[in-house]
Amino acid sequence: MTGDHLSIEASGLTKRYGDVTAVHDLTFTVRPGAVTGFLGPNGAGKTTTLRMLTGLVTPTSGAATIGGQPYGRLTQPSRTVGAVFDGNAFHPGHTARDHLRLYAAMAGCPDSRVAELLDLLGLAHAADRRTRGFSTGMRQRLSLATALLGDPRVLLLDEPSNGLDPEGMSWLRGLLRRLADEGRTVLVSSHVLHEVQQVVDDVVVIRRGELVAAGPWSRLTGPPTVLVTSPDADALATALTAAAGSVEAAGPGRLRVRGLDAPRVADLAADHRLRIHELVTETTSLEQLFLDLTTDPAEAR
Amino acid sequence: MNLLRAELRRVLATRMWGGLLLTAVALGGGLVGLMALVGPENFDPPMPGLHTEEGLRSILGILGFTAFVPAAAGALAATSEYRHGTAAVTFLFAPRRGRVLAAKLATHAIVGLGYGIALAGSAGAALFAVAAVRGVSLGLPAPTVLALLARIGVAMAVYLLVGTGVGALLRNQIAAVCVVVGYLYLAEPVLMMIPGVNALYPLLPGGATAALTDFTYVADAMSAQLGSDAVALLPPAAGALLLTGYAIAAAAIAVVVPMRRDIT
Repeated sequence: MTGDHLSIEASGLTKRYGDVTAVHDLTFTVRPGAVTGFLGPNGAGKTTTLRMLTGLVTPTSGAATIGGQPYGRLTQPSRTVGAVFDGNAFHPGHTARDHLRLYAAMAGCPDSRVAELLDLLGLAHAADRRTRGFSTGMRQRLSLATALLGDPRVLLLDEPSNGLDPEGMSWLRGLLRRLADEGRTVLVSSHVLHEVQQVVDDVVVIRRGELVAAGPWSRLTGPPTVLVTSPDADALATALTAAAGSVEAAGPGRLRVRGLDAPRVADLAADHRLRIHELVTETTSLEQLFLDLTTDPAEAR
Repeated sequence: MNLLRAELRRVLATRMWGGLLLTAVALGGGLVGLMALVGPENFDPPMPGLHTEEGLRSILGILGFTAFVPAAAGALAATSEYRHGTAAVTFLFAPRRGRVLAAKLATHAIVGLGYGIALAGSAGAALFAVAAVRGVSLGLPAPTVLALLARIGVAMAVYLLVGTGVGALLRNQIAAVCVVVGYLYLAEPVLMMIPGVNALYPLLPGGATAALTDFTYVADAMSAQLGSDAVALLPPAAGALLLTGYAIAAAAIAVVVPMRRDIT
């Protein structure tokens, strides 16, 4: 499969547990060569969806494929997909090396791959310690090492930032970027947005098991806006509107401007001899977008 | 083949298998050796001595009552992946679950046989050694003793598989071990005492084991104490067949039940 660029396709995925619908009619695509953030509040159905993608949970209806194949039909699953669901899935009596050797055997990888991954994940010093004594960060790294054993083309990570310190998180972002740049498909779920915001190219946002938004992050957030504070706000508004900007009041003496960038706003103010006290370019943060997309109007009251 | 290698590595990397072998030797060699050394005729109440067929069979048959050990080990092994959350990882690596479950079953059977061989082998070694030291001539010819020991060994492997079946059904490690040990250690002997119900005893795993190993001492003693008729055990061959049936049923459960179950 090496060299393949594999998409993940979910179509109409639905999972019901008794009366509870955990995931409802979820359809989305995850493209190769990009990091896709799978976002939603806790309990939105992210984990259930990821488990359906990998055949651990059987959908009530709908289907999921990876590179056009259902997970269960992949000829070399661990060389195609690496997944981390629970950064704590080890026998406490196994050492890191035991754990990796066992799954290397299952994947048909040579044992030399185990040493490579222990080095890559910075676990070489702890390779022969039993996992019961591992810190949360070490557990996350060992889980990731397990997922990467088969050098998979697709990587699925469920809340990988849990328990990682800022340094570990930054390292992880670097790794995800590199894997995506190699043409792999990377899907990372999170409810903590600022941790993935810096690395995601695309997002899939769900709320209560339903799709809220999907697409490239830049398209969802839209162009930046400029926030300007001026004692001459009224005159400035007239001038900016005349220059084809779209202006709205954002409090006393404050304007939010769309369609013009900050240097242009400053130049126009100077042309009209108007004073500016503050000028800020606002990029919609994913956090705000996420809140907007996922806040339930009924709950927001 | 990869899956079997992986499952063997899974077992060998833990301390459990070493502990299990030690237990087998302690129970087999230790228990039988001790009983033989003391001599059943010196027990309280006294039992027939080693030089009698009955005494010899009893001593070996008592090993049948240690079956809760391999059964508990099987239950532990079958539930370990759920307890530690590695079932998800395993099924990600082997989404065709039947294959990995079959590999696990084969591994458990190997461990069970290993346990049985260690138990029966050490028991045999202890028995013959003590008999030689005490100058007692055993109540049965050596080939018969060895055959009995072999049956006990196989029965232990069956119990380990029964344990894995229970584990696969329950998935909760503590519950599975409690059920297995509780049944073998408490429930079955109690069932033996209840008039009417004890007619079922020959068909239970314990009864089948007793039949296989020709061990009627406990059943007879209990009947005598309760003043009821002796429970008639199945003939050894039928006991073997029944025990095999239990093993197959447990194996089927261990493979089929987790096949499509959601791993959450």
